[in-house]
Amino acid sequence: MKFLTIAKKEIVDITRDRRTIIMMIVVPLFLIPVLLGTVFKITKSMAEKASEKQLKVQFFGREHAPDLYRAFAGMDKVIMLDQIPVDSVESYIQEEYLDAAIHVGPAYQKNITDNRQAQIRIQFKGTDSFGSTKDRINGVLEEFENRIVAERMDRLNLKPEVVKAYNIAYEDVASRQEKFGKIAGGWFPYVFIIFGFMGAMYPALDLGAGEKERGTLETILSSPASRLDIVLGKFLVVLLAAFLTAFIALGGMFVGIQRISDIPAELIIVINEVLSPKTIGLIMTLVLPVAAFFSALLLGLSIYAKSFKEAQSIVAPLNIVIIFPAIIGTLPGMELNTVTALIPVLNVSLASKDIIAGVMNPFYMTEVYLSLFGFAGLAIFWCVKWFNRESTIFRN
Amino acid sequence: MIQVNKLTKDFSLTRKQRKELGDEYKDTKTLRAVDDISFECQPGRIFGLLGPNGAGKTTTLRMVATMLKPSQGSISVSGYDSVSNGQKVREQIGFMTGQTALYDRLTPTEMVKYIADLHGMNKNEYQKRKNHLFDILDMHSFADRRIARLSSGMKQKTSIARTIIHDPPVMVFDEPTSGLDVMTSRAIMDLIRSCREEGKTVIFSTHRMGEANQVCDDIAIIYKGKFFYNDTLDAFKSEMTQATFEDEFIYRVGEA
Repeated sequence: MKFLTIAKKEIVDITRDRRTIIMMIVVPLFLIPVLLGTVFKITKSMAEKASEKQLKVQFFGREHAPDLYRAFAGMDKVIMLDQIPVDSVESYIQEEYLDAAIHVGPAYQKNITDNRQAQIRIQFKGTDSFGSTKDRINGVLEEFENRIVAERMDRLNLKPEVVKAYNIAYEDVASRQEKFGKIAGGWFPYVFIIFGFMGAMYPALDLGAGEKERGTLETILSSPASRLDIVLGKFLVVLLAAFLTAFIALGGMFVGIQRISDIPAELIIVINEVLSPKTIGLIMTLVLPVAAFFSALLLGLSIYAKSFKEAQSIVAPLNIVIIFPAIIGTLPGMELNTVTALIPVLNVSLASKDIIAGVMNPFYMTEVYLSLFGFAGLAIFWCVKWFNRESTIFRN
Repeated sequence: MIQVNKLTKDFSLTRKQRKELGDEYKDTKTLRAVDDISFECQPGRIFGLLGPNGAGKTTTLRMVATMLKPSQGSISVSGYDSVSNGQKVREQIGFMTGQTALYDRLTPTEMVKYIADLHGMNKNEYQKRKNHLFDILDMHSFADRRIARLSSGMKQKTSIARTIIHDPPVMVFDEPTSGLDVMTSRAIMDLIRSCREEGKTVIFSTHRMGEANQVCDDIAIIYKGKFFYNDTLDAFKSEMTQATFEDEFIYRVGEA
C-alpha cells in the first residue's frame, strides 16, 4: 500500500504547483469557452460581412440584354459599373476592385427568342475574400433563366413536367443526433485527448525528471517503498491529472456552448440532447484507457531523461504523434473498421463519433476497448520495467 | 552492521560512452566501477570510504542502499541480504547525500511525515520522534513553511530530520558535505558523530581527507573501483610516510 502514500504526497505536491493548476484547470475551463466563442464570433461576422458586401459588377453588352442588366442592377447590395475598359477587366478583378464582369454578345436576344441557348461569360475571382460572388451572380441568372424557360414553355404550350421529369422528395431518416455525431462528433474526443495529454505532461515531467533533478529520487529509492510502489504511485497521479484535465475540458466546452450567444439555438438543443450523461460516461470509458496509455508513456520517458529540460525535448514530438491521429479521426468519411479500431487515439476519436451519433457496432467497440486496454497495459508494463532498469534511473 | 563481500559492479557502456572514455575502452562493453571489494562496518563505529571523484564510492553506497544490484559478491545489512531482502535492508537505512533532496512545495513537517509513512511508522511513534528531532534541531519555527522559502541552513536541518526520522540502525552518508558551507558542513559532521554515540552503524564517503580524519574510526581507500587500504584510522596514521593526511592519501593513490 506504499504506492498510496506516494500518490497522496504527489497529489499534494503537484496541486501546489501553479503551472500544473493552470494547465489542468484554468486552461481547459477558460480557454475552451474563449476559443469557442472567438471561432463562432469570427465565423458569424465573416458570414455577415459576406452577405453585406456591396458587389461591384460591370455588364458588357447591356444594349443586347437590357432585361438581364436590369435584373442584375436590381440585385440587393450591388454597384453596377460601366467605365472599366474590357481589356483591363481581368486585372481589376484580380486586384478585387471589381467582383465580376458579365459579357453578353449581340446574338443574345435572337437566341432567346429562337428558343436557343444564349452565351453568357462571367469573369470572377474564385478565391475572393468572401467566396460568395459566384453564388450571388448565379442566383440572379438562375432566376432569370427560370423565367425565360417558363415563358418558352408557355409559348410552346408545354407543361413544366416536360422538362422536369422527376418530382423528388428526400426523406432523411438519420436522427439529428446521428448527423451531429458524424459531423462534429470527432471534435469532442479531440478536445479530451489533447487536453488529457496536456494535463498529464507536466505532472509526468515533474514526477519523473523533476525528481531526478532535485536529487530526491535517491531518497525514495532508499526508502522501503518498492520500485513498483514508486512507479505505480506516480502513474496514478499522472493518470488522475490527465483524466481530470480531460473532464474539466469537457466542462469548459459545456460552459462555452451554453454561454456563447452566437451559437444558433437549434444547435444548442441538439448539443444538449447529444451530450447526455450516458454519452459522456461512455466517452470517458474510452478516455480513461487512452489517458492511462499516454500517462505511462510520458512517465517512462520522463524517468529516462536526465533533467526536466531534456524530458521536455523528448516529450515534445509526442504532441504530434497524439494530435495527428486525433485530427485524422475528425475527417469526414473516416469510420471505425477492423483496422482503425485497433489504432490508439484514432480509435477513441472514431468510437466517440459513433457514441455521439448513437450507432455503435458492438464488434468494433469490443475491438476498441481491447486495443485501448491492451496498449495501456503494455505501456504500464513498459514503464515499470523501464523504472527497474539501473541505466534508466541512474542515466546521469 | 554492514558486511560487504567480494563486491563488484559492472556497468554496460553505450557506443557513445565508449567513445567518450577513449581508446582504453574501445573494445570493452562494460566498465568496472567497483572491483572485488570487501569490508565490514561495525555498530558504534564510523567507516570512512575515501577516494577521489569517480573512484566508485557512490556506486558502492548505492549498492549498500539497494539502489543498484551488485554484478558479483554480496552485501548484508543488519543480517539482511541486499538482493533477496531489499525492502528489509532499506528499512534499516537512513541515506543522505550532499544534495538536500527535499520537495520544495512541501513543508518540513510534510516532508518528514512522508518518509515516516514510507517507513510504516505508526502515528504515536512518528509524533514522538518528530517532536524530539524538531526540538533538538530547533525546527519548530519553520516546520510549516514551504521548503522552497527556507534558508539553506533550515533546508539542511529538514534533510537531517527526514534522514533519521525512522531512527535507522544504519546510516549511509554519500559525500554529505559536498557543496555545503562551513556552518552546514559542521552540522552534518555533528550528526555523523551523534549517530556513532547512539550506536548506529555509519558508512561515510568523502574525498576530503580532513573530514575523515575528524570522525572516522575505520577507513578504506578506493581508487578506480579497487581498495588500496582497509583498516582502522589509527593504523593508517601509524603507517603514514607523508607529512599530512592529505599528502599520504595522494601518495597512496598516486602509487596505485
